[in-house]
Amino acid sequence: MSRTLSFTDAINEALVIAMRADEDVIVLGEDVAGGGGRQDQGIEDPWGGPFGATKGLIGEFGAKRVRDTPISEIGFVGAAVGAAATGLRPVAELMFVDFLGVALDPLLNQAAKMRYMFGGKARVPLTVRTNVGAGNRCAAQHSQALYGFTVAIPGLKTVIPSSPADAKGLLLSAIRDDSPVVFCETKTLMNVEGEVPEGDYEIPIGEAALLREGSDVTLVGMGGTVHTAVAAAEALAAEGVHADVIDLRTLYPMDEAAVLASLEKTGRVVVVDEANPHCGMASEVASLCVDKGFDDLDGPVKKVTAPHTPVPFSPPLEDAYMPSADDVILAVHEQLGWNT
Amino acid sequence: MATPIAMPKLGITMEEGTIVDWPVGVGETVEKGDIVLVIESEKAEVEIEAAASGVVRHYYAEPGDVLPCGSVLGAITETADEPFDATAFEQEETAKAQEAAETLAARPSSAVRAPSLRVPARSPTSSLRKGRAPATPAARVRARALEIDLSRVGGTGPAGRVTRRDVEEFSKRRKDRVTVAEGVALDVPRHGEGVPVLLLPGLGTDVSAFAPQIPALAEKHLVLGVNPRGVAGSDAPDDDHYDVATAAADAVAVAAGPAHVIGASLGAAVALEMALAHPERVRSLTLITPFVEAGPRLAVVADAWCRLAASLTAEDLARSLLPWFFSPGFLSDDAARERTARGLSTTVARVPPETLRRAVAGLHAWSGTRVADLSNVAVPTLVVAGGGDLLTPGASSIADAIPNSTLVVVDDAGHALTIESSDAVTQALIEHVTAHS
Repeated sequence: MSRTLSFTDAINEALVIAMRADEDVIVLGEDVAGGGGRQDQGIEDPWGGPFGATKGLIGEFGAKRVRDTPISEIGFVGAAVGAAATGLRPVAELMFVDFLGVALDPLLNQAAKMRYMFGGKARVPLTVRTNVGAGNRCAAQHSQALYGFTVAIPGLKTVIPSSPADAKGLLLSAIRDDSPVVFCETKTLMNVEGEVPEGDYEIPIGEAALLREGSDVTLVGMGGTVHTAVAAAEALAAEGVHADVIDLRTLYPMDEAAVLASLEKTGRVVVVDEANPHCGMASEVASLCVDKGFDDLDGPVKKVTAPHTPVPFSPPLEDAYMPSADDVILAVHEQLGWNT
Repeated sequence: MATPIAMPKLGITMEEGTIVDWPVGVGETVEKGDIVLVIESEKAEVEIEAAASGVVRHYYAEPGDVLPCGSVLGAITETADEPFDATAFEQEETAKAQEAAETLAARPSSAVRAPSLRVPARSPTSSLRKGRAPATPAARVRARALEIDLSRVGGTGPAGRVTRRDVEEFSKRRKDRVTVAEGVALDVPRHGEGVPVLLLPGLGTDVSAFAPQIPALAEKHLVLGVNPRGVAGSDAPDDDHYDVATAAADAVAVAAGPAHVIGASLGAAVALEMALAHPERVRSLTLITPFVEAGPRLAVVADAWCRLAASLTAEDLARSLLPWFFSPGFLSDDAARERTARGLSTTVARVPPETLRRAVAGLHAWSGTRVADLSNVAVPTLVVAGGGDLLTPGASSIADAIPNSTLVVVDDAGHALTIESSDAVTQALIEHVTAHS
């Protein structure tokens, strides 16, 4: 059975399921309780973070397992790493991935290294939930898509769901994984609704999804750009150009086989990523295709990304900054030689 | 109007299908709903119905071929004799999509980044001259597997790049190769059955120049389109020039016995040479816009053509030739002109610059050598001339010099008669060939 839930509600449901199933699972971060547990002060309806993903948790699981922290990312991420190394399964909420910089040392030098440096005797079953992406008029310091940073750090896994159902299943996998996992939530998707199965299920980390099939071109998206790619594929189909649409779902470890199998079929790849163009996932997919799929390439791999600029605050400029379906269609036309 | 027969997508997982049978032959009539194709997909045979009533005009694939869903496999036209160019038809389908694409690109975008003006693509041929065809990795792998020389494959990808599909289509055409001399095989597409009819195309073109005439001729004859040395899938021996006498000997080798010989422009020179050197192999002779001496305008246009072929894209080259090939009346029809420009692009893309240079050298070497021999032509001859032909204005006078000849002049028409006046040419050819069968 499934019902329609928003992305936020699907995340909330995954947290409830994980916390009911395993009392080692705790939640901490800025405003995750959001005033809950302060009935003595007249606060009875905790809002559960900026998107409401942790709403209601404190009521069921109590203030010991749902902890509001001071505004100090290095503080609560560091605490979460320590808690994970000593036996808990913490889910820390880094409100915006833009604050990664101030929380980087515990992730980069502690969480990602412990299992390796202690010869496998330590494990860090930590999940960091974090909000990514532009499109919500949040300006340059609250709109970045910095997942490429965590993908670049050996010892971390990074996932980015594109649908409520995947969000629930991937979050349950992330919480139960014995390695630190960065779980990216795309701002523009938080209110998107979709069918979500009931009960406890996991989407395996490292498996991409083929959302749409076609033999002419492969469109690769992640998070919000999966929807951009699907919209482009629909418009292209009307022109007689049929696209495979791959949702990476996991950025590291990437499902290389899924991308290469599609490339073998279509000969053409367009990667759609709303991160900046350098040293990012788009470059990573292009590099994979050139390295391991060279003989299947029937044209250059095209990257459709944001430009190499900060995210603009001006709404028209922010819209222009985001990769659009039209940008994807143009890239496909270029591959087909229609624009030249 | 032609309707495509395409590989259907019968299920969400179906990516390709195998052609099992064409129950209806080329030239036969079908009603909408008749079974026109049998394919196999996922171990099941499926019968495909005709989407329109008409005549099956062309098949692009044979039983056993495996093709992706959506591939154009055949074409049905409303009538048996309406003009139909198999190559142009495929291209038209692409053009339709392109038009849709342009509309889309012109639409206000949610993104500010509009498509920037693009510098015209580099010519596929300019890189060929450097000895390395621009080809995709996938095309290179296919070419190695099929033992195809990539420099012989015309590229249709961006900037003239050879794609995997170009290689596969070239390989299909290669089945039509006929060995005409030691180490030399020509690409000779065949249509129909019966007494052979040889089609000899003009300078810088391939047999697609006769596409409008082929279906009618193929109804009662074996039509052999002879792509000359270096053109389309024919071998390109490393000779200084491709002379007319050798081309005539090649054409003799293509047909097993006496044939009706039809040549256009430089192809007419080859046909004339055949009639003089091998009269026993010529049942009837048709010379379309022929010449025996290249006039100054023809010489200058041929020279310019060679120069432009080395630096222009196929489409730009085709457009630069339009004023020389077609009459003002034809060019004033926007739709016909655009369709022809695209069709001619595909045609000229099949002639590498080096082949063009060698053929022009052969043309100059032959020019003037047969002026006095016209009275020795001993086979029934039809001369077809265009009243407004700029390149071979003396075509009509050739008919005067050949005994037992008939002259048909198409009023005001230009040099590329088989395309511009396709119906009139087809009718004249059928009458002449039928009268001497």
